[in-house]
Order: sequence, then C-alpha cells, then structure tokens
Amino acid sequence: MSRNILITGANGALGLALAEYFFTKEADCRVFLGVRERRERAEELATRFPGRADLITLEITSPEAWKTALAEIEAKTGALGVLINNAGFHEDALLANMSQDQWSRVLDANLNAVFHGCQAVLPAMMRQRQGRIVNIASLSAISSPAGQTNYAAAKAGVIGLTQSLAKESARMGITVNAVCPGYIEGGLPADWTPEHLKALKMQLPMRRFAKPSEVAAAVFFLASAEASYITGTALKIDGGML
Amino acid sequence: MPTRQRLKELMISELMLDMTADDIGDDTPLFGPAGIGLDSVDALQLVVMIEKNFNFKMADQDQAKRILQSVSTIAEALDQKAAA
Repeated sequence: MSRNILITGANGALGLALAEYFFTKEADCRVFLGVRERRERAEELATRFPGRADLITLEITSPEAWKTALAEIEAKTGALGVLINNAGFHEDALLANMSQDQWSRVLDANLNAVFHGCQAVLPAMMRQRQGRIVNIASLSAISSPAGQTNYAAAKAGVIGLTQSLAKESARMGITVNAVCPGYIEGGLPADWTPEHLKALKMQLPMRRFAKPSEVAAAVFFLASAEASYITGTALKIDGGML
Repeated sequence: MPTRQRLKELMISELMLDMTADDIGDDTPLFGPAGIGLDSVDALQLVVMIEKNFNFKMADQDQAKRILQSVSTIAEALDQKAAA
C-alpha cells in the first residue's frame, strides 16, 4: 500500500536527505515536503520526483496551520501514514545571557511544534489504527552542551514526549520514535571555521561527521513496517561519540 | 447482531483484550480493578471505536465518563441516539 509521508523542515540538509531516501527506497510513496519561506532546494528535489512530491507550506508552531496542511494532504491523497518532525533550529547562548525570546523561540520550534504535529496527525492515525511518527531529537538532548540550555531542554522534551506518546498509542498500531543525531554534514553552523571543524572531527571516534543519508536510513527503518515492535525509543546516531 | 454483543466483540478486537465476549458482563465496570481493568488509553480508543463504528461522537469528557461505564451504558446511549 502506498504511503503518504510528511517531512517538516524539508528544505534543510537532513530534510532533503530524508525525502530522497524515501523516494529511492519506497517506490510508491508520496512525500509532502513541509517548508516555510526557504523552499528552493525542496522545489528542486520535487522536480526530480514528479508526481511523488508536493511542497506544503507549514508554520509548525501554529496548530491552525497543521490542521490546514493535513486537510490539504487528506484531500489530495488520503490520510497521512508517516510524520517526520524534522524542522527545528538552535539559537545558542549561555543561560546567563539568554533572552526570554531566545528561550521561547527555540522551545516553540523544537518542542511545541512536535506537540502540535503529533496532536494533529493522531486522530486520523487512530482511525486507521496505523501510523509512524519519527521525531528528530538531537544528541544535545543527552549530552546537554554548555550554551544550549534552550535547545537541549527542548530536545530532551522531545524524547520525553516520544516515550510517553509511544505508550499512549501503542495499542492503536502507531509507533512513535526519536533519533538523536550528532554532527551532520551540511547541518553545521555556517560560521564555524574549517579549523574548528577539523578540530571537532579529531574528537570524534570515527573522525568524521554523519552523512545526512546515514541519519535518513535509521529514520526510514523506524518508519517501516519492519520496525513494528519498536516504539518509544530514542536512537543515538553519533558515530560512537557518547 | 445486538448492540451489546457487537460492542463486546469490537472491544476485544480493538483493545486487544485476551478474553471472550462471554467474559464481559453487560454491567461489568469497564474501568478499575473490580471490572475489566481498562485504562485511560483504552478509554481514548473506545471513543474512537464508537465514533468509527456507530457514528456516535462524544460531546465532551463528561459525557464520555457517563457513557463509558459498562457495555450496557454504552449500548443505551447508542440506542437512544438511534431512536432520536
């Protein structure tokens, strides 16, 4: 049976890799690429998979926007089978210097948006008695680096939400899992210098960052029928870093 | 099939209960240790199950609490709706 998949943050490096992985590995799936203002790379990807990709404008922090987006998807192709909550960003600062806005923006985008997304897709998944939700958390949820109190708290919250919702929805054929990627190529701050990146790699057991496709492969598995007895997990994808 | 019997069979399949319809009395409490022992997750599933199979939508949590007492209370609510 063909599945409808919604990936938020689909214009970013990981979002694009996730979409491409699904297109390649699941021949009849249809992928909805959740984007906001920045959409040029998602548009380019969609042209490479005609008839299988739709861009969908989605302000993830708005419950109303979720309702509208899901109504659009259902009208086009039927209920959603897979939700991948991938969108998010960090805005680092030491807590002593962090503004209330910096705290709230990061919590809104990384944690509250996951709540809105899960709440929006659940009714249809419950009626179908099947569904897959994969939340992209972060290694920061576990390693809690200095300068990321907002981001680490949000991503740790995502893991908590994932595990709790997994228990609530297990009997309904819905699995809810999270992945915790470490450093990903293409997903690193643009202002990090080559020297800094080189020094960072030296600290990693594999001495390299993850390829986006390596994270996508794990997400694809968790979203597959084969992962039917895996729910509530938070999978580290960090090349042995922690 | 009578409503009560249908409800019991749906509950067994949808809530994955390891029992038969005969094990569920019409008036056996659905929740708590003195009854079948359903939990809050089952309650949510019951609401969805009733909506999907009987086109009966609970108005609010209070109504759900009143109706989801036993197979009989659910059947009575469904029969009342059918008669209305």
